[in-house]
Amino acid sequence: MTAASFKTAAGAGSACALGVRDLSVNFGGLQAVAGVGFDAAAGRITSVIGPNGAGKSTLFNLISGAIRPTAGRVTLDGADVTGQAPDRLLAAGLARSFQITNLFFELPVLENLRIAAQVLERPWHALHPVGHSRRALTKAEALLDRFGLSAKARELAGNLSHGEQRRLEIAVALAAEPRVLLLDEPTQGMSHGDTADTGALIRSLAGELTVLLIEHDIGLVMSLSDHVVVMAQGRKIAEGTPTAVRADPAVQAAYFGHG
Amino acid sequence: MPEATLRTLSDPGRAGPVSRLSRLAPVHWLALAFLAVALGFAAVAWATGNGFYLRLATEALIFAGLAMSVDLLLGYTGLLSLGQALYFGLGAYVSALVLRDVAPSFWLAMAAALLAGGVAGLIGGVIANRVKGVYFALITFGLAQVAAKTVYNTRALGASDGLIGIPQISIGFGPLSLDTADPLSFFLLVLALTVAAYAGLAYLMDAPFGRTLAAIRANEKRVPFLGFNAWRYKLAVYVLAACVAALAGALYPMLRGFVSPELMFFETSGNAVITVIVGGVGTLVGPVVGSLLLTALRSVVGSWTEHHLIVVGVIFMLSVIFLRKGLVGALLARLGRRTGQGRTTP
Repeated sequence: MTAASFKTAAGAGSACALGVRDLSVNFGGLQAVAGVGFDAAAGRITSVIGPNGAGKSTLFNLISGAIRPTAGRVTLDGADVTGQAPDRLLAAGLARSFQITNLFFELPVLENLRIAAQVLERPWHALHPVGHSRRALTKAEALLDRFGLSAKARELAGNLSHGEQRRLEIAVALAAEPRVLLLDEPTQGMSHGDTADTGALIRSLAGELTVLLIEHDIGLVMSLSDHVVVMAQGRKIAEGTPTAVRADPAVQAAYFGHG
Repeated sequence: MPEATLRTLSDPGRAGPVSRLSRLAPVHWLALAFLAVALGFAAVAWATGNGFYLRLATEALIFAGLAMSVDLLLGYTGLLSLGQALYFGLGAYVSALVLRDVAPSFWLAMAAALLAGGVAGLIGGVIANRVKGVYFALITFGLAQVAAKTVYNTRALGASDGLIGIPQISIGFGPLSLDTADPLSFFLLVLALTVAAYAGLAYLMDAPFGRTLAAIRANEKRVPFLGFNAWRYKLAVYVLAACVAALAGALYPMLRGFVSPELMFFETSGNAVITVIVGGVGTLVGPVVGSLLLTALRSVVGSWTEHHLIVVGVIFMLSVIFLRKGLVGALLARLGRRTGQGRTTP
């Protein structure tokens, strides 16, 4: 793989929260992700872009423990977490949202958030009345407020509008106070106004935590990201600042069309 | 940070502190109403000296314990067990053996049944939780069939005859004591145990532990990404359900004086599932109400015709078609409409 020529001076001084090295997975004979590597700098927004079928979602599944890689390494703050189960990864500080809304539709909105925040509590609080889990409840209510869902607290998640469900999806991923957050197309199917609001919200997360973002809205990616990784056909074809990536001829050929 | 909140779609009239939980849920009121009816029934039966109905009601409560254990799995976690009779029968046999061969001690029999149920539940849970959905149901069915056939063919356990001659015992509570031979005393004891089981389980199902089970039922795939090991939770509730079933089973020989392999057969497991569905899935009261209803029905219809299972089958189908949430679920929905707050799920 010749992608190394696009590598920035990663790891040199800047704190890297999430490190991905030569990550690969085979489905049958198909190399869905092949030798992908990059660093997501702490407190920054790193985006993964690429045409449909580039392997972006598979990459997320590999990093978040949904699928075991056949080769390569994932590190969190330098510690090897490759192939760990999602619940162990969450405990290590990595949370994710899903492209296809993945909530507890038959439970109330507040309960979705409270369950997600329960890991903030001591284990034995699982056997105490819910009211004793003050931290989880406070967190859930703060997220309701931050994501404009307070009025819907008692509504079933399944009864929310699409845009509200997408917001709840992000809020649920944030509830465990992760250090690294993976957002898989957070604005998928959102209206223009909602997309802009969600973009502002993601921007506000930078600094608080490290964000790795998959996003189809190129305008949003270019305005939000500190660093962009471009994938095509399972491989990384470029990475760099939004401006550098946009100017890259290989990226233009693979992603922006043959112009 | 507060500047970044999404305000565009939020309503100005926001709900206050939403964590207020002290109010007694309608389902608990229903449980209290049920307890009052049960005590009223006991008083009438005692006044008229009717031991038969007291013993029938006691049996219904014992099978209600088995049904509650099915409800923990089916109603709260979304796991269909078709072999819960395994643990019920195990508790019954262990209790019978302790009472007959070791010591006529209620507490020893209950402790032994609890231990046996816990160990067997751990083994069965590890096996059954390897798979999901319909395969889970089939594994639980298979495990119970294996156990039932083993007991059925073991001469030391009385084979097809079961164990007979379990002595009636006196149960000590400090200075007080109570005799299983007295229908009223034993009914009240089993009623107290049922209420305790309901209260304990209802508490647990409303605590974060039980609510995580509800999350598993709602969307198991998301649960690990929220930091929970879904497998451990499913194993824990499986062991809990096995313990509840074993404790209920342990009471059976104290009432009837014998145990038989039929207690482990599919009919017992299937009846428990029917009881939960007719009574109300995911309510814990539903299984108790359903058990009393179906036991009464079997007794009444059984006195007219030996084909009472036809009636039970028809009721089951009608309930599945017209009362999707069972009797208690329908009642709660009605209460909820009146008071403006439905709460049928935990």
